[in-house]
Amino acid sequence: MKKILNLLPAGLVLALATGCVNTELMADVDPSADLVGLDTFYVAKFGPDERGIEAMIAAELNAMGKTATSGADPKPPAPVDAVVTYEDKWMWDMTMYMIELSIDLRDPETNYKFATGRSYRTSLARKKPEAMVAEVLGEIFGTESSGAAE
Amino acid sequence: MKLRKLLGLSFILLAVTGCAVGNQYDYRSASVALPLAGTGELGIGVIDNRSYVLSGDKEPNFIGLQRGGYGNPFNVTTASGNSLTQDMSESLENALRNSGYTVTGLQIVSADPAAVTSAIAQSGVAKNIVLTVTEWKTDIYMNMTLHFDLLLEVVTKQGDTVASNQMQGEEKIGGGAFEGQNSRTAAAAFETKIGRLFNDPEILGALAN
Repeated sequence: MKKILNLLPAGLVLALATGCVNTELMADVDPSADLVGLDTFYVAKFGPDERGIEAMIAAELNAMGKTATSGADPKPPAPVDAVVTYEDKWMWDMTMYMIELSIDLRDPETNYKFATGRSYRTSLARKKPEAMVAEVLGEIFGTESSGAAE
Repeated sequence: MKLRKLLGLSFILLAVTGCAVGNQYDYRSASVALPLAGTGELGIGVIDNRSYVLSGDKEPNFIGLQRGGYGNPFNVTTASGNSLTQDMSESLENALRNSGYTVTGLQIVSADPAAVTSAIAQSGVAKNIVLTVTEWKTDIYMNMTLHFDLLLEVVTKQGDTVASNQMQGEEKIGGGAFEGQNSRTAAAAFETKIGRLFNDPEILGALAN
C-alpha cells in the first residue's frame, strides 16, 4: 500500500502531462461538393471572436489562390461561391491559446454546410492561430497549407 | 499517514470518474441548414430504432458514453431530458421551417411500417419525411467517436416510400473536451449528417415534386 501511495504523485504528473497532449485534425466534405471549382469566398465573423480570426481565414484562402473577403455581416456583400463560418475556442494554460478551431463552408443560398474541418490542440501541442487556420483549410481542401503561418 | 491515504483514495476516485459523470448534450442547439428551399406542408417524424432502447437497456434520452480515467463508461443523456428523437425532431422541424416549409410533427411509435403508415394517415399530410435512427451515440475517452445509422425517407400520404437515403458508420468527430464543447461537437456532427442525408438527388427530387 505504501509503495502504491508513493507512486501516486508520479502517476498524477504523468496523467496531467499526457492529458495536455491531444491533437485532432479532421475534415468532412460532401462527396458531391466540387471544392476545386470554388473561387470566391466570404468569411463571416464569429460573434464572440475578438481576435480577427475571420481576417486570418480570408488571408489564408487568398494565399491558397482563392479570392476571399471577410466581415462582420453574416451575409456576403456581393455574390460568392461559398460563405465561410467558423468557431474558435480558447483556453488558459500559462497563456491563452486556441484549443480548437472549426471552419465550415456553406452554400450562400441555403446556408447548407457542405464541408467542415476542425483542429483540436491541447496545451502542449498548441500552435499559433494562423497555423491552425492553415491546417484546417488544408485538411478541407486536401492541400498542403500555404506555410506562411508556420 | 491518514492524510496520504485519503489523498490517494481521492486521486483514485477522481481518476476513475473525472468529469465523466452526469454529462448532458443539447441536440436542440443544432443549427441544421438543409440544402433545399421550398414551400408547402411537410410531415416530419423521427423514430428511435436503437436496439438498446427498444430492449429497455437504455432510456430514450441516452445519447452516448463518457468514459472515466480507466475507460469506465458513464451514460450521457439529453440536456432537455426528452428522448433523443424528440430533440432531433425539434431541430429538424426548425430546419425545415427555415427552408420555407410548413411543418407538422408526426407521432410515430415504432419503425414498423404499419405504425409509420398509420401516423401519416392520421396527420393527412401529402408529403412526409421519416428519419429512422437505428444508431446514434457518441463515445468519449481521449477522443470522441460517433456511431450512427440513419435512414431518411420521403413517404406519401398513402405510406409509399418515394425516396430514401441511408448513412451509417463510426467516425472520430473530435477530441474529448469538456462537457459543453462535447455537446457542441455532437450537435455539429448531427448538423453535418442530416445535411448530407438530405443532399441526395433522390431526396431533393422527391421534395421538389
